[in-house]
Amino acid sequence: MNVESVYPKVREIIADVLVIDEKDINLNQRLIADLGAESIDFLDLVFQLEKEFSIKIPRGQLEKNARGELTEAEFEKAGVLTPEGMNALKNYLSEVPSEYFKPGMKVNEIPSLFTVETFCKLVLAAVSAQSTVESMA
Amino acid sequence: MRFLFVDKILELNPGKSIKGIKHITQDDFYLKPDEKGKLFFIPPLVGETLGQLAAWNVMFNNNFTLRPVAGIAASAKVLRHVYVGETLLLESFIDHLDESVVQYHSVAKVKDEEVFILRGALGPLLPMQDFIDTNLVKQQFNQIYRPMPCHPVELATRDLLNNMEIPRCARNDDALSRLSLSPTTGLGPIAAPMIFDRIITCEPGVNLSAEKCINFAAPYFADHFPCKPVLPMTVLLECKLNLARDFIKLSNFSQNYQVREVHKVKMKDFIQPGDVVTTNVKIKSQSDTKLVLNFQSEVNQQLVCVLDLIMITPTVLPNYNENSSAKSMQFQEN
Repeated sequence: MNVESVYPKVREIIADVLVIDEKDINLNQRLIADLGAESIDFLDLVFQLEKEFSIKIPRGQLEKNARGELTEAEFEKAGVLTPEGMNALKNYLSEVPSEYFKPGMKVNEIPSLFTVETFCKLVLAAVSAQSTVESMA
Repeated sequence: MRFLFVDKILELNPGKSIKGIKHITQDDFYLKPDEKGKLFFIPPLVGETLGQLAAWNVMFNNNFTLRPVAGIAASAKVLRHVYVGETLLLESFIDHLDESVVQYHSVAKVKDEEVFILRGALGPLLPMQDFIDTNLVKQQFNQIYRPMPCHPVELATRDLLNNMEIPRCARNDDALSRLSLSPTTGLGPIAAPMIFDRIITCEPGVNLSAEKCINFAAPYFADHFPCKPVLPMTVLLECKLNLARDFIKLSNFSQNYQVREVHKVKMKDFIQPGDVVTTNVKIKSQSDTKLVLNFQSEVNQQLVCVLDLIMITPTVLPNYNENSSAKSMQFQEN
């Protein structure tokens, strides 16, 4: 399972959630800036992905994945990303062009970076986590 | 004129489930007559009542610091109209709850008969103070939270409903004349007609656009909500169902399409007094037995609400799939 294998279904779900044509969606587009997603759409999208792929995506999972090994205190201060946090975020969101990462970016602005590919990666991570849990059970 | 519909909470398990009742009486404002003139409670507002019931559970659970707002419904079905003189037994079950969102499903019954089923409702949680003073909402809650004494819940609830006196209603025609119901909306002049103000353009059989100015005078804003008046999604939904009927009439279709299902309903943003809602309706697909209309509503050219409306001719049996994953609301036309 990889980005290419989950992308068609993720694209279909994004099109359904945002009420746009699938042909107007590509991997590199940001959901908010390019596709017009609102916060309610993110909730809807996560629930639809959970249902489609039989996975659980805890709230804030993307941000948690981006933080990686950093603690919250190392990742952000007063809601603003630290330099270490920005590096961790860039490493995780490797599919996002570097020019979108603005200095002084706030934690609550992170969703503005998410692309279609970001959600494909989220699904893959959740499927992998699910498989690990099931194999340990 | 309240826009709070739960009359009494019978049982509350915080974060898990809640039961309540609503009487439908001639004191209700949001009534419409069926083809025989018998008054029923507007179907989207049965859904509103169930949503409010779930909201009470969520708000109690977080000590009234956060409140859910309408977002999405996966599936909802009206099995029949609920008439004046009947009492709704309401139940909502929380499927998922965290600090940002609640997912729940609900059912409304008249005695043991299911009349409305809601599945996969999804509501974001927002700060209470943005919408209503915490003390006021607690006061509203205390007015209706009168749990049953210590009986087995099922028995207590059944006893309550079986022993409940059906409110004495005036003769139906007296009620109708008292309400001076509009022949268009079925609603009285003191209730907010849930219709669009004017049709802007219409290409019969193709598309239609209409406009509704959102007026602070509408009675539901007092409760929805005191600090932040927003148009209830269920009110907008009723407006669109009425607009669909207008479009059908203007298009002179030979088929007698009737509302069966609302699909992919989503509120993307709040609509507030002073806003002008422009709604565009277009035919998504059409056959002799089925008509699908797509509605897109905008405020200041920003999309605020979308839905597909499925209408079928009476000869087609309702195609309700219990396991459907579509976001849908199904209605039984009167």
